Amino acid sequence: MSSWLDYTINGLIVGNVYALVAVGLALIFGVSRLINFAQGSIYLVGAYVGWVAVVRLQTPLVITIVLVAGVSALIGLLIERFGLRPLQNSVRIAPLLATIGISFVLDQIVMLTFSPNPRALPSQLPDIRFQIGAGTIGPLDILIAGIGLASAVLLFVFLRYSKLGWAVRATAQDRDAAMQMGVDVNRVNQAVFGIAAALGGVSGMLVGMYYNQIDTAMSLQATLKGVVAEVVGGAGNVPGAVIGSLLLGLVESYGIAIFGTSYRNLFSFVLLVAVLVFRPNGLFASAKRAPPEPLTGTFIAPSRPVHLPLWALLLAFTALALLPLLPVSSYVLQTLINAWLFAMLALSLTLVAGTSGQVSLGHAALLAIGAYTSALLSLDLAVPVGLAILCGGLMSAALGTLLISPSFRLRGHYVSIATLAIGEIISLIILNWETVTRGPIGISGIPPLSLFGHELVDTPQIYWFTLLVMVVLALLQMRLLGSHLGRGFRAIRDDDVAARAYGLSLNRYKALAFIFGGFAAGVSGGIAAHLYSYINHETFNTQQSILALTIVILGGLGNVAGAIVGSVALVGLPEVFRIAAEYRILIYGIVLLLLVRFRPQGLLGTI
Amino acid sequence: MSNVSRRTLVKASLASIVVGAAMSRATFAQSSEPILLGVSGPLTGPNAQYGAQWKQGFDLALDEIRAAGGINGRKLAYTFEDSQSDPRQSVAIAQKFVSDPRIVMELGDFSSPASMAASPIYQRAGLVQFGFTNSHPDFTKGGDFMWSTSVSQADEQPLLASYAVSHLGLKRLAVLHLNSDWGRTSRDYFVNAAKELGAETVITEGYIPDERDFRSTLVRVRDANPDGLILISYYSDGALIARQARQVGLKQTICASSSVYSPKFLELGGEAVENVHLGTRYFPDDPRPEVQKFVAGFKAKFNGQEPDAFNAYSYDAMNVAAAVVKIGGTDRRAIRDAFSKVRDVSTVIFGPATFDVATRRVKGGMNAELVVRKGQFVLWDGKQPT
Amino acid sequence: MAEPTKATDADALSLLSLRGLTRRFGGLTAVDGIDLELNRGELVSIIGPNGAGKTTLFNLVTGLDRPDAGEVRLDGHRITGFAPEKLAGQGIARTFQLGRVFGNLSVMDNVLIGAHARLRAVQPAVPLIGPLLELGLALWRPAAVNAEEERLREEARGILARFGERLLPRLDQPAYSLSYANRRRVEIARALALKPRLLLLDEPTAGMNPTETTEMQALVAELKAEGLTILPIEHKLDMVMRLSDRVVVMDDGKKIAEGSGEDVRNDAGVIEAYLGHGLSRPQADDRETAA
Repeated sequence: MSSWLDYTINGLIVGNVYALVAVGLALIFGVSRLINFAQGSIYLVGAYVGWVAVVRLQTPLVITIVLVAGVSALIGLLIERFGLRPLQNSVRIAPLLATIGISFVLDQIVMLTFSPNPRALPSQLPDIRFQIGAGTIGPLDILIAGIGLASAVLLFVFLRYSKLGWAVRATAQDRDAAMQMGVDVNRVNQAVFGIAAALGGVSGMLVGMYYNQIDTAMSLQATLKGVVAEVVGGAGNVPGAVIGSLLLGLVESYGIAIFGTSYRNLFSFVLLVAVLVFRPNGLFASAKRAPPEPLTGTFIAPSRPVHLPLWALLLAFTALALLPLLPVSSYVLQTLINAWLFAMLALSLTLVAGTSGQVSLGHAALLAIGAYTSALLSLDLAVPVGLAILCGGLMSAALGTLLISPSFRLRGHYVSIATLAIGEIISLIILNWETVTRGPIGISGIPPLSLFGHELVDTPQIYWFTLLVMVVLALLQMRLLGSHLGRGFRAIRDDDVAARAYGLSLNRYKALAFIFGGFAAGVSGGIAAHLYSYINHETFNTQQSILALTIVILGGLGNVAGAIVGSVALVGLPEVFRIAAEYRILIYGIVLLLLVRFRPQGLLGTI
Repeated sequence: MSNVSRRTLVKASLASIVVGAAMSRATFAQSSEPILLGVSGPLTGPNAQYGAQWKQGFDLALDEIRAAGGINGRKLAYTFEDSQSDPRQSVAIAQKFVSDPRIVMELGDFSSPASMAASPIYQRAGLVQFGFTNSHPDFTKGGDFMWSTSVSQADEQPLLASYAVSHLGLKRLAVLHLNSDWGRTSRDYFVNAAKELGAETVITEGYIPDERDFRSTLVRVRDANPDGLILISYYSDGALIARQARQVGLKQTICASSSVYSPKFLELGGEAVENVHLGTRYFPDDPRPEVQKFVAGFKAKFNGQEPDAFNAYSYDAMNVAAAVVKIGGTDRRAIRDAFSKVRDVSTVIFGPATFDVATRRVKGGMNAELVVRKGQFVLWDGKQPT
Repeated sequence: MAEPTKATDADALSLLSLRGLTRRFGGLTAVDGIDLELNRGELVSIIGPNGAGKTTLFNLVTGLDRPDAGEVRLDGHRITGFAPEKLAGQGIARTFQLGRVFGNLSVMDNVLIGAHARLRAVQPAVPLIGPLLELGLALWRPAAVNAEEERLREEARGILARFGERLLPRLDQPAYSLSYANRRRVEIARALALKPRLLLLDEPTAGMNPTETTEMQALVAELKAEGLTILPIEHKLDMVMRLSDRVVVMDDGKKIAEGSGEDVRNDAGVIEAYLGHGLSRPQADDRETAA
C-alpha cells in the first residue's frame, strides 16, 4: 500500500510542474478575461533562452533566472502592446485567436532558430536526492514547488493589498469604470502580461532542467495542461490555479495507477469537461457568476458580406468543373481535392462557429468519427463505399453532437476550451478502444472510393466527386441559412439570453447546428479514409482543427462561399508556394494575426 | 467569386499549368541532367528533426557516389518536399512526383499514415515508393511498387529478446513502449519472442509521444515486480524513462531497443542511462569497412558529429537507391524490377542487402549488443548486471 | 401542470400572480417576499430607486433566474422556475434594461425571432425526433412552411408600421447600424411579434430624449387600449402616473407601497426611499443573472 503514497507524491510532483503554467494563465485571465494560448510558447522561449544562458553563456543560476525572466517579460510586453492592445475594441473572439496565432509564430521562430531536435538543459543545482516514499526528489522539485507557491502567495497578496493590485482587479471587473477612476488600464495590462510572461519563461526553464530535455513540442502540452489546471481551479483564481494543478496531477496519477498509462490524458480532459459542465467557475467558486449585459453598441463582427452575384458563382463552378479537361497536372487536381475535403470541414465549422457562435477547436474529431465509421463499415461489414461514407456522415452527426453536447451550456472561451478537450478525448478513445479501432496500429487496406460498384481511381473522377459533394453540401447549407433556422442560429450567436427569452432552446438549436455540421464533416472524413487507404488516431488532429478555424475566419465567419475560398487559399496556396515549406506554419500564424487585427470579418465578410 | 479570390485561383492554376508543362518538356536524353529522386518527408512540424537527419545521410551518400563517378556518368540528386508527415500533403506530393517525368523513384515518407496514404497513387502511376523508416507491417502490401529497407520488427524484436532473456538472464519483464503503430507491433513481437525463450512479461505500458512524466507509470511497473525493464522507445522518451526510473527507486536492469540508439540518448539521459543495455543494427565501432567509412565520412562532413541510426538508415537507402538505378536505369518500371535484381548491396544496417521478392523487404540486419559505460556506448562485455 | 385553483372570480381575472417571491445572492436579499397580482388588461408599473431589485424580479418571472422561495402563477398555472424559452411559448414577452437586439440580424429578422415561439408548420411538436423534423422541414420547405413564413413577415411589417417611417425603410439593415432609440423600438416590435398575453418592459424609455419618450408613451397607451397586460419598470414618474392602473414601489427588495399613482406619490415611505438613502448600498439590480 505504500504505492498509494508514491502515487500521491508523484501526482503532487507533476502537479507542481503544471502549477507554474497555470498561475501565469490565471493571472492573465484575471485581468483581461483572456485565455492566453501563447503562454506555452513563452514557456518554450524561456526554456531555450535558459539553454542559451546555461550552455552557451554559462551563467550562474541566479543570472540565468534573471535573464530568462527579463527576456520573457519583454516578450510578454510586446505581445500585449502589439498583439493584443490593438484588439481591445474588436470582436470578442479576436484576442483568443490572436494568442493562437502568436503561439504559432513564437513556436516556429524557436524551431527555425534552434532546430526541432530535443536538447539537454542541465540543471545548475547540486545533485542531491531526498528519499520520499520509495522514490526520491531533488532540489529542483523543491525549487519548483517554492516558486509555484511563492508566486501564488505573492500574487494573491499583491492583488489583495497593493495599489497596483487593486488597479488590476478593478480593470478586470469593469474596464471602463476603472478608466474613469483614473486607472491607467494600459499600464496595468502591461504589468500583468510582463509578470505572467516572466513567470512563464522561468517555468519553462525550470521544467526543462527538471526533465533535462527541451524541445518545441513542450509548448502545446504546457498550454493544454495549464488550461485544464486553471479551469479546474477557477479561471482567474491564482491560488485556485495551484490547487487545480495539484488536483490535476493527482487525478492523472491515480488514473494511471488504476487504468494504465495510455489513459493519462483522457483523465485530464475528462476532468476538464466535467468541471466545465458542473462547476464552470471552478471547484472553489461558490455562486455561478453572471455575465454582464452587453452595452448597446458593442456587437460582434459587424460587417457587410461581399455580395457574390449568381452569374459569378455559376461561372466559377463551371470553370472548376471543366478544369480536369484542360491540360492540368494531376498535382493541381490533387491539391484541389484536398481543398474540397477541407472545404467540407470548413463549411461545417463555419456553420457551428460562425453562424451559431460556437467556436469549436476540436472539429477534426468529427472527421475522425466519419472516417473510422466509413472505414470499418466497408472493411468489416462489406458495406458499399458510397453508403459507408453516408453512414460516416450520419454517425458523425449523431455521435459527434452527443459528445460535444456538454459544451452547450457554456459560453465564450469556455466553449472553445471544452470542444478542444472533447476533440482530444475522442482521439484518445480512438487510440485506446482497440477492439473496434485497432488502436495505434490504425486501419489499413481501406477500399478505394467507388460509387454503385464503379471504382473511382482516376484523379479527375475523384476530383469531380469531391467537388460535387462539396457543392451539394454548400447549397444545403445556404438553404439552411435562409430558413428560420439560419435566423435562429444567428440569434443565439448574437445574444443567447434574448434568444431564450423568445423561445429558442439553446440545446435544441446548438444540437441542430452540430448535427448538420457533423454530417458535412463526417462525409469529408469518410471520403478521406477511402482516399488515403490508411487512417489512425493521428490522421485527424488538433492542428487541422486550428487550420480549419483559420480558414473559416479568412473566408468570413458564417460565410459559405468564404469557407470554400478560404480552403482554396490556405490549402492550395501553400502547395503552390512549396518553396516556403519550412515557413508554412509560421505563415499561417501571421495570416491569422493579420486577419484578426485588420480584417476580422475575413475576405468575404461575416454573415 | 469576388475578384480577388477568383484572380488568385486562376493565377494559381495558370502557374501550375505552366510549371507542369515545363516539367513535361524535360527529357532524359540530356545526360547532363542529374537523375532525380523524389523525397517525401518532414522538414517542418513535429517530426522535423528526422527529416534533418535524413538529409545528412542522403548528402553523405551522394558525396561518395559522386566521388565514385556517379551513376553511369550521371549525377544522382534528390528533391525533398516537406510533407510534415501529414497524409494530406504526402498525397499531394505523390501526385507531384508521379507527374514529374524526371523523378524515377520516391523515398519516404517518415510515418506510416503519411506513407500509406500515398501508396495508392504511387502504385497506380507506377512509381516506386521506397520506404526506409516507416515501419508498419502492411506498408509493402500496398502493391508491387512498394519496397522497404526498414528493419522489420519481426526480425528486430527477437534479437532484443535474446539479449534480454538469453544473455542478460532476465525472466520477469516490464515492457514500456511508445503507443504508436511501430511501438505496438514491436511490443507484440517482443512479448512473443520473449515467451518462446522462457521469460514472462509481467506488465506492458504504452505511452503517447509527448509524454514527459513517467513516475506513476514506473510505480505501476515497480509493483508488478519485474527483474528487468524493456524500453521500446525513441531516444528522448527513453532518456526520460531511464532518469525517472532511478528517481522512483527502480534499480532493475534496463534493456532498450535499437531505436534509442543515438548520441542524444546519452546527452539527454546523463548519468541515469549508465549501464543501460541496448541492441542496435548499427554501431560506430563495428569494424566492418562499410561502417567505418560511413562514420568517418559523417564526422568529416558534419563537424565531428557522430551519426545515429536515422542517419544510417537514410545513408543506406540512398546507396540502395543508387544500386537500383544503376541496374534499372531511368525507366520507372525497370527500376521496380531492379529491386528484385540487386544483390548484396553494401549497407551499414544489413551488411550485404538483398530484397526478399515476396515481402519486398530485406531480411535480417546486423546485431550489436551494446551497453552504456562511463557515458559511452560500448560493446557489451558479457558482464552480468548486478 | 394544470392547477384547478380558480376558486373565485378574482382569480379568474388574475393573469400574473406572485406570492412570496424571494431571491438571495450570498448575504444580500435582492428580492424579499414580493406579492403581486396583475389582472388581465391592467398596466402596473414597478418603480423604486436603483438597486431595489426590480430587474431581478423580472428575471425571476421570466425564468432567467430561479427564486429561492415563493411562486409565480400565470393564469392560475404554476410557472415558477420554468425556462425562458418555455415561457415565451406561454405568451410572456420581455424587453431588457439596456436593450438586447440581435446586432447582426436585420430589423425584419429581429422581429421574426419574436414570433419564433409561434411557429407551427416548421416546428412539429413531436418528441425525440421533433428537432430532426424541424431540420428537414427547414431544408425542404413545403408549401405550409413557406405560407407560414410569409404570413409572419406580413405581420412583422404590420407591427413595424406602428413606428411610422422609423423602421420600415430599414427592414433589411442590421440592427447594429440603427440609432439607440430605433434599437429599442425594434426590441418592442420583437416583443409584440410574440403576440404576448403579458408584456414586461424593463425601462422602455431609458436613454431616450423627451420626444422619443412621448412617442413610446403613446405606443404603450395604445397597447393597453388594445387589451394587452403590461408590467413596466419605469423611472419617469409622469409617464408612470399617466399610464398605470396601479403603481408598486420597491426598495431594498421589498414592496414598500402599492396603490394608485396619487397614493404612492404622497406616501411618506416612498419619499424617504427616493430621497433619504445613503450612498454605499450593494446594488441588487446590477446582477442580472442569466441562467
